[in-house]
Amino acid sequence: MSAGSFNESYDAVVIGAGNGGLIAAATLAEKGVKTILFEQHNLPGGFATSFTRGRFEFEPSLHEISDFGPPEDKGNVRILLEDRIGLDAEWMRVPEAYRLIIPDDVGGRIDAVMPFGEEAFLDKMEEYVPGSRPSVVKFIRLCEEVVDAFSYLGQSKGNPDKKVLTGTYANFLKTASYTLQDILDAVKMPYRAQKIITAYWCYLGLGVNLVNFSIFAAMFYRYITREAFIPRYRSHGYTAALEMKIRELGGEIQYNTRVDKILVEDGRVAGVETSQGDKIKTTRVIANASPHSVYSKLIYPQSAVPEIAYKTCNARKVGFSAFVVYLGLDKSASDLGIDEYSYFIYSIPDTNHIYDAFHRLERPVGQATVCLNNAIPDCSPEGTSILYLTTLFDGNCWSDVKPSEYFNLKNKIAEEMIDEFEKAVGVNVRDSIEEIEVATPATFAGYTGAYNGSVYGYEPVPWDSIVPRMMTMNDEKYIGGLEFAGGFAFRCHGYSSSLQSGETAALLTFRDLMEVKSQ
Amino acid sequence: MTKEKIDIKIKPLGFLDLLAFKKLVPTRKKKIAAAAAAPFPGNPPVNALAAQLHPEVQHLKVSEVREETENVKTYKLVADTDRGTERLAFFRPGQYLSLEFKINGSTVTRPYSISSSPQEALNGYYEITIKKDDDGYISGYIHEQWSVGSAVTASGPQGHFYYDNLRDSSNLAAIAGGCGVTPFRSMAKSIVEGDLPVKLTIFYGSNKRQDIIFLEEMEQLAASSNGAVRIVHVLAGEEAEGFEHGFITADLLRKYVDVNDCSFFICGPQAMYNYLSNEIAGLKIRNKYIRRELFGEIKQINNTKGYPAGAVAEMYSVKVHTGSQVRVIEADPSESLLVALERAGFCPPSACRSGSCGVCRSLLIKGEHFIPEDVDARREADKKFGFIHPCISYPLGDLEIILPRKKKD
Repeated sequence: MSAGSFNESYDAVVIGAGNGGLIAAATLAEKGVKTILFEQHNLPGGFATSFTRGRFEFEPSLHEISDFGPPEDKGNVRILLEDRIGLDAEWMRVPEAYRLIIPDDVGGRIDAVMPFGEEAFLDKMEEYVPGSRPSVVKFIRLCEEVVDAFSYLGQSKGNPDKKVLTGTYANFLKTASYTLQDILDAVKMPYRAQKIITAYWCYLGLGVNLVNFSIFAAMFYRYITREAFIPRYRSHGYTAALEMKIRELGGEIQYNTRVDKILVEDGRVAGVETSQGDKIKTTRVIANASPHSVYSKLIYPQSAVPEIAYKTCNARKVGFSAFVVYLGLDKSASDLGIDEYSYFIYSIPDTNHIYDAFHRLERPVGQATVCLNNAIPDCSPEGTSILYLTTLFDGNCWSDVKPSEYFNLKNKIAEEMIDEFEKAVGVNVRDSIEEIEVATPATFAGYTGAYNGSVYGYEPVPWDSIVPRMMTMNDEKYIGGLEFAGGFAFRCHGYSSSLQSGETAALLTFRDLMEVKSQ
Repeated sequence: MTKEKIDIKIKPLGFLDLLAFKKLVPTRKKKIAAAAAAPFPGNPPVNALAAQLHPEVQHLKVSEVREETENVKTYKLVADTDRGTERLAFFRPGQYLSLEFKINGSTVTRPYSISSSPQEALNGYYEITIKKDDDGYISGYIHEQWSVGSAVTASGPQGHFYYDNLRDSSNLAAIAGGCGVTPFRSMAKSIVEGDLPVKLTIFYGSNKRQDIIFLEEMEQLAASSNGAVRIVHVLAGEEAEGFEHGFITADLLRKYVDVNDCSFFICGPQAMYNYLSNEIAGLKIRNKYIRRELFGEIKQINNTKGYPAGAVAEMYSVKVHTGSQVRVIEADPSESLLVALERAGFCPPSACRSGSCGVCRSLLIKGEHFIPEDVDARREADKKFGFIHPCISYPLGDLEIILPRKKKD
């Protein structure tokens, strides 16, 4: 296609208004780059949105944002959203780290409520597992070094001093290629303390034998030291604010517009075409979509996708999809006896077995459940509460489900999860359900087009975790002018990673545009 | 806390850990080199399932037309394979289809409950049952224009007006007025087919006997339901043997069902909702046991609670930004902004036309408007930033909005 047939021209096109795409568009617009953001849905946010049923407005996917921090000790995400983008959104503090319940652990029931704050966390752990303190201190120090090393790498903009790395951050380097379990063993942490300290594993979606230590360490340390926050008006509260900000900065947003083609000429982005018939000339695209989706569906002509791009995708494993039961309850959290914000309930003790079980379409053996009112008391009308129960599934185990079985299947699994929650916590929620909605992998796939319904990115096993991804970023750029943002980008998944990945993609795009201009 | 200096060792010798780090990138390159070079499916299994459950559009055609009463017809719709729809999406009894019409340069939508059962969708058809209203622009069009072979463009099944076993009592009390009986026909059929394990009592208000839709059919369904389906006809305009007379009152409900062990499903015209609200309020039923189907656009907005007195006056102008176009149109304050947009020839996205689904979500840049409070289902942040649902927004002055384009396949 010749350039003449384009009907408009932009410096940069952002595909998808998820966390990564919104931040990318806002960052580019703020720098005066002529930017258009296309979103196939009629709302911003992707999974970072909200939906209403009756008197309730539900949070679809977020449990808590890490690396946000209180106003007096801002984390990277708060700095990005408030200081750099100037976002008009309200945030609420999550009251405790989590309550972990493992009803049938080998040494008896584990039921631990863990606080934020390093000292408080250590004290509580010592109370639950006497004698654990030295190993837990050692573990936390290692996590701290990982976080400090990432900050240093960020500041050095890809050119770290090797001496500094091997001197100041030697433990970071030495642990980077190992799994979480390797490190727990190396610090000789007692078994029950290991169970309690790894509760967040399901946010990464990999058992402790598989998940890379560095990524877990960064997440864990930031939660414990900087607490967790959530948007007051659900994720739509801040993604709608991002939409407003992008418009205010002169960026354009087109909803209900799916990008169908990324046009490639001589190995470089030349334009995009949309479902609305837009033909846009551009040399820069930021895709808030998975490489799996981009390489299999968007690159045009398909022959422009090099073999190595397929190999890279095939070598990696697309992370889990989710299954969520949203309940609007006609009793308050305290009347129901639900005291905590965040519950991790693992019906079988071994995270690796739970990980395996998430690959089978059977009764869920792990759930992360949130009672929103315990962080946002007025998130629902007085005398009511919002509870959402989340488990994970590999998308493929839903592949044989027939539409005619689908509705019964989802309520069956929902009921099993509610039963498990009621049993573990000792409460009754079933009798108070005023509104219920159930989202399955098919819901997530349908809503954003996520590859196989994945709500997580590629699995962060040691060879595909954040460190090796950073080190190979340039080598694995297969189409000139194309950057990725979101959960599938180099920072791995999760809200804070996806948001920050959008900024990185925008800054790389901006740098390239400036270089071209100066030539 | 004093910070301990650590020197971690995972392997017995520290330098092996550094070596392991140095191997990270080579290991990654090896994994990639060893992987298959074949492209993978662009539409993996879960995305394919999603497309079957929630198709963006279903191309249908009329395969049969049946007269139900003097001004009510049932249309049987089948997949139009020539236009690319191979099979119909499954649904839950009580859901609706949003149909799209292109008439005289306007693109408009209307939601219609599916009156057939989910099993029948698997067997290849939906039915919708439409009453020709005196002031019904679209219903009149359908009655006059649709015949066997007519092409119909529909959404996937929509809406939340269905039985949920985790929330509802398994005793359902359906309250229907006029054409509002259609979702309950779907439920009754589904019960008889063995797919819906509930007991259903339908209170069906009509004016006269001759206005009752599905009179004989529902009797037959009840007869073959093993006691699970029961229908109570209530005639307002005449007295007849075997029929209740008057309106559907709280006392009448109590006469037939245990109101304290029942989930109520209400579907009918706006006037019926208004009347029933008072009757039901007296029963002190928990919210969770009352479901109301959306009733579509509000008629006589100036009689709606909260509407500023004397506001319906002259026409207003609306400056509309959509795609890269900007155009100024006229808006009649007695009609919703959505209708004004449709009249002006835009193709605004819409589905429920009742304020609920959010498909028409648009950004108000400036201008005064009215949104009835009890149908305002906008997200909190949308209220804050000035997003509106044009289907329930009524101009009170000149407006400027950003309207999203309608989705295209």
